[in-house]
Amino acid sequence: MMENEAGQGAVRFGRREFLLMTAAVLAGCDRSGAPASAPAATGVITVVATVGMVADLAKRIGGDAVAVETLMGPGVDPHLYKVTADDLVRLQRAELVLYSGLHLEGKMQDVLASLGGTVKRAHAVTDTVPREKLLRPEGFEGQFDPHVWFDVESWSFCARSIVTILSNLRPSEKAAFEQRGAAVQKSLRELHEWVKTKVAEIPEARRILVTSHDAFNYFGRTYGFRVIALQGISTVTEAGLADMAKLVDYIRDQHVRSIFVESSVPHTTIERISRDAGVTVGGELFSDAMGVLGRRERDYDLGTYDGMIRHNVHTIIEALR
Amino acid sequence: MNLFPTFDWHHVFVQPWTRDFGLFGWIMLMGFLVSLACGLVGKFLILRRMSLVGDAISHSVLPGLVIAFLIARTRSSGAMFVGALAAALLTTWLIDWIHRRARIKQDAAIGVVFSSLFALGVVLISLFADRVDLDQDCVLNGELALVPLMAPVKLAGWTLGPPAVVRMAVVALITVAMVVCFYKELLVTSFDGILASSLGIPSIWVHHGLMLWLSIVVVSAFEAVGAILVIAMLILPGATASLLAQRLPTRLGLNVVHSLLSSVIGLHLGVWWDCSIGAAMVVAGAGLFCLAWVFNPTNGLLWRWRRNVLEEPAPEPEVGS
Repeated sequence: MMENEAGQGAVRFGRREFLLMTAAVLAGCDRSGAPASAPAATGVITVVATVGMVADLAKRIGGDAVAVETLMGPGVDPHLYKVTADDLVRLQRAELVLYSGLHLEGKMQDVLASLGGTVKRAHAVTDTVPREKLLRPEGFEGQFDPHVWFDVESWSFCARSIVTILSNLRPSEKAAFEQRGAAVQKSLRELHEWVKTKVAEIPEARRILVTSHDAFNYFGRTYGFRVIALQGISTVTEAGLADMAKLVDYIRDQHVRSIFVESSVPHTTIERISRDAGVTVGGELFSDAMGVLGRRERDYDLGTYDGMIRHNVHTIIEALR
Repeated sequence: MNLFPTFDWHHVFVQPWTRDFGLFGWIMLMGFLVSLACGLVGKFLILRRMSLVGDAISHSVLPGLVIAFLIARTRSSGAMFVGALAAALLTTWLIDWIHRRARIKQDAAIGVVFSSLFALGVVLISLFADRVDLDQDCVLNGELALVPLMAPVKLAGWTLGPPAVVRMAVVALITVAMVVCFYKELLVTSFDGILASSLGIPSIWVHHGLMLWLSIVVVSAFEAVGAILVIAMLILPGATASLLAQRLPTRLGLNVVHSLLSSVIGLHLGVWWDCSIGAAMVVAGAGLFCLAWVFNPTNGLLWRWRRNVLEEPAPEPEVGS
């Protein structure tokens, strides 16, 4: 009898599926003449960037000589990103593929590095960051921490590499790329100084940044924060109870006022710790992904690199002041 | 904003075979080769009540990856492959050993072994490699959608195709050859251990041989296309075929048909939904399983329901196994 009931359920399900499929096919027939997406206009460099931070640089330096698309959108954890059919077509058709590198993109980097074409099509923008500027966890030579964009000064080296790459592709536009590249570097220098002056507003003893995963070590090194992350860089090792208890003790000992959640990592554990330690959650920081383009806060756009850094700094300063 | 992607006949069914065939053709071939190799090996796993061993291996490779990294000090594909393969072999050997020695059923032995090994991997990361990103998704599991972008292999002036496809083709061919050559041994040891020993077939060696080959198939498939497709295709083709036929040779033939259909249908679903193509192939394979369950002519749900409702209530028909 049990089997029978299940059977009827399955028959109904199968039939509905069939009807849906038929309807979908019929609906599709009406539009069968839809044109294929038009090829990119000549002259404009089609660029695919893996993450928003790289796309932002490419857009600012390339100007109207480039059309930039981003694979991993707002709030996407690069660990959990899966390549879709459309992404594949984009990667194949792009004249240039830009990725961050230093193993941020994981196994995907192996494929990108071997991307076919008459000239090398894919470039890691962090290749030009001097190796001595990079953080390497003790004991693991060559295994650099990928989150360089939180050291604005080091990140500006990536602008240089994009200028070079674009100039090689369109030598006629070289002057424009150089000019915009210099402007971008200047604005990044200003941003770097701005972060330093903002950070100076809070006393040194309070510069402790407690977050969910190890994305802020560059930020801590450059702007003088002690960075405590609940999780290591790898996301398979979940926070143990002992880690959580130790962190709660640390927060109490150091009189930390606020701790922070990240936009691309679940919030629950940090919220739990904030309750246990009796501190507030100071706000949401951007770590591995930027915000939605066009969403504004104060005088900046959260979907830009500039907005990402300014949002993080404002959030941190306000909560720890 | 659309919650569900609109269906465009041209985009879903025409472009993959015309404009984008150079990409999606390789993906369909790759999906088929992986499903074929996994399905044929998986058929014998199902007979041995070990169908979840693939899922087990996908977790238990973790300590192998960590140890390989600690020895080789690199996250290159070669080192990770060797580590994963060693861990997979250890997994299958431990499952068999615990099953025989501790007189625990296979499913329990699988559960004990893979959860312990995965936990060991997490502990090793916490102790020795906390500052390096080392999970399966980051260093081992490949991505089906990226396969066509790899630079093609050339052999004696012939351009063969992406290296992952060439490797998987070799693995699939050897799998077919082994199933043909050792058909009798595999058949008898899977069904009847006593008959096997009376025929002079060394069951244990057949078992270990099967497990060795299983480890090679699944680890190389993880490396090429990621975990979800491999785990599912060890089970779905065999399970579907066993609903439709009683004799093993027919079932093996149906296995191949299932592999082919699920990779072709799955690709189109993946293009339509713009999602992970491997996952779409699994959905297609599961859909085929449901169709076989409902519509198969001997004891499908539909016919049983018809018999029960339209004819006079008959006693519940015998379910063949």
